[in-house]
Amino acid sequence: MKNSISQIKKALIEKKISVGELYDEYLAKAKSGNNNSFNLVIDRENNISSINDSQNRYDNGNPLPLDGIPLGIKDLFCTKGIRTTASSKILSNYIPNYESFVTQQLLNDGSIFIGKNNCDEFAMGSSNETSYFGPVINPWKNKNSQKDNLVPGGSSGGSAAAVAEGSCVASMGTDTGGSIRQPASLCGIVGLKPTFGSCSRWGIVAFASSLDQAGPLTNCVEDAAYVLNSINKYDFNDSTSSNHQREDYLVDINNSFEKKIKIGIPSDYLEDVSDDILNQIDNTKKALSKHGIEFVDVKFKTTEYALSTYYILAPAEASSNLARYDGIRYGVREDGESLDDIYLNSRTKGFGDEVTRRILIGAYVLSAGYYDAYYRQAQKVRRLIKNDFQRILNEVDFILTPTTPNEAFKIGDKLDPISMYKNDIYTVPTSLAGLPGISIPSGLSKNGLPLGVQFIGNYFEEKSLLQLAALAEKELSFNE
Amino acid sequence: MSDIDIKRISYLAKLKLPSEKEEFYSNSLKDIIKWVDNLKKVDTSKTEPLHNVTEKTVSIRNDEVSKSNSVNDVLSNAPERAQNFFKVPKVVE
Repeated sequence: MKNSISQIKKALIEKKISVGELYDEYLAKAKSGNNNSFNLVIDRENNISSINDSQNRYDNGNPLPLDGIPLGIKDLFCTKGIRTTASSKILSNYIPNYESFVTQQLLNDGSIFIGKNNCDEFAMGSSNETSYFGPVINPWKNKNSQKDNLVPGGSSGGSAAAVAEGSCVASMGTDTGGSIRQPASLCGIVGLKPTFGSCSRWGIVAFASSLDQAGPLTNCVEDAAYVLNSINKYDFNDSTSSNHQREDYLVDINNSFEKKIKIGIPSDYLEDVSDDILNQIDNTKKALSKHGIEFVDVKFKTTEYALSTYYILAPAEASSNLARYDGIRYGVREDGESLDDIYLNSRTKGFGDEVTRRILIGAYVLSAGYYDAYYRQAQKVRRLIKNDFQRILNEVDFILTPTTPNEAFKIGDKLDPISMYKNDIYTVPTSLAGLPGISIPSGLSKNGLPLGVQFIGNYFEEKSLLQLAALAEKELSFNE
Repeated sequence: MSDIDIKRISYLAKLKLPSEKEEFYSNSLKDIIKWVDNLKKVDTSKTEPLHNVTEKTVSIRNDEVSKSNSVNDVLSNAPERAQNFFKVPKVVE
């Protein structure tokens, strides 16, 4: 059984295990590499000073909030002196000389990085199959076809698989349209996407800057609160970082709500879904109704436009953000006779198919003659989507939806991009609205695979969102 | 929807698609653009575009000199360098 951060800290305080022994335990699993969840694993000797410092703090009786906790870091966060590739060929040799804001906070709080998690190339994908370093394999198997390797979801697929397989205690992911919540759901763990503007984007390889948000993937809701306490801080270097007062997300997390809670279930999300998915919503509803929580039907007006809006805006921002990869200042250069040839060759050979596709979509919707019809129109519809959520959140405290429309599927099964994009149907709308969402495991499918439900809260109200998720988790927990 | 000029789009994106892949990307793009075309029926005549979802003011820093990356740090990942410069093929004759 997997241990939570507070259980591990207790064992470290009581000297039942040392920081070094703990690191070795997780390192051994990370190194076995059966599921390809890491692009890079950090040996004990390269972390020895952090391990010793952490042990000293335990010995002196003043450990930091995440002291000695081995974490996996999505290979999208710049880590000083440690190769950071975004799972792309074009960055496969890149060694940052600075630390991302978020990972710096985690280091400041005593955690130790066990390695860099595999992910979809530049975080573009929903199955972790677009990585230059090969697909990640979901640690879970379909009980009716044990031999099949399944996808872990994406794009933070390596981060999710690593937590599920037990090769790190918790991991960091990023979520642009569902890239934390969707893999968390398919791997049977907890994934939190905070409100846009909560956790700094500084030092995260950019995909779509108006949507990208860092967040934790963990074994339990309390662990998500531990990590969020560390990373949720104002940062001057991110111009969209919000400078509101942050709360302590651990305090009161296990308390019941003082006021009556009302949760909306969007009926339009549940049309044509399988029994497996409907069961998740029913179970959650039953479990929480016991605690006096009221459920009401709500209806969105904009759901059918969310994916279209996302697949215009995200590629548009990506095509602009990825213009920086030119083979001149960093990254892999392909030879060419002229400067222009270097640009063309480096980019063409450096990007994989899905990234190329999204750059092309972006270039198209931003090009003269199409800008107003696609890009600008999508930005306007995005406002309507945001307004739609605000209207619903005036009526209810939270929204409950499935996290994914299906269980984990076989690697190589979904070949056409549109059917892949539809994986994010329940997570994309929240991302467009910038709201916080958390996926928690809610049960198993008929094939014995994990599924999750998503709770959506109001802007910057992660504290009550975690409190609700912790309550639901107690009722819904299942054993592997 | 008009036809997609894949050569022009890839030129704009500084990509040189191999000729055998042009059709693959062109078809893929056509499918996706057709799929997102449903946005055209949404009435947005009275709606302003949304750029930043939390609509908080972008902070501006004071113009003060501070020490950050050294020249060596900046050049440490350069594929090719010459002294304190990034090296590229000759651009002007």
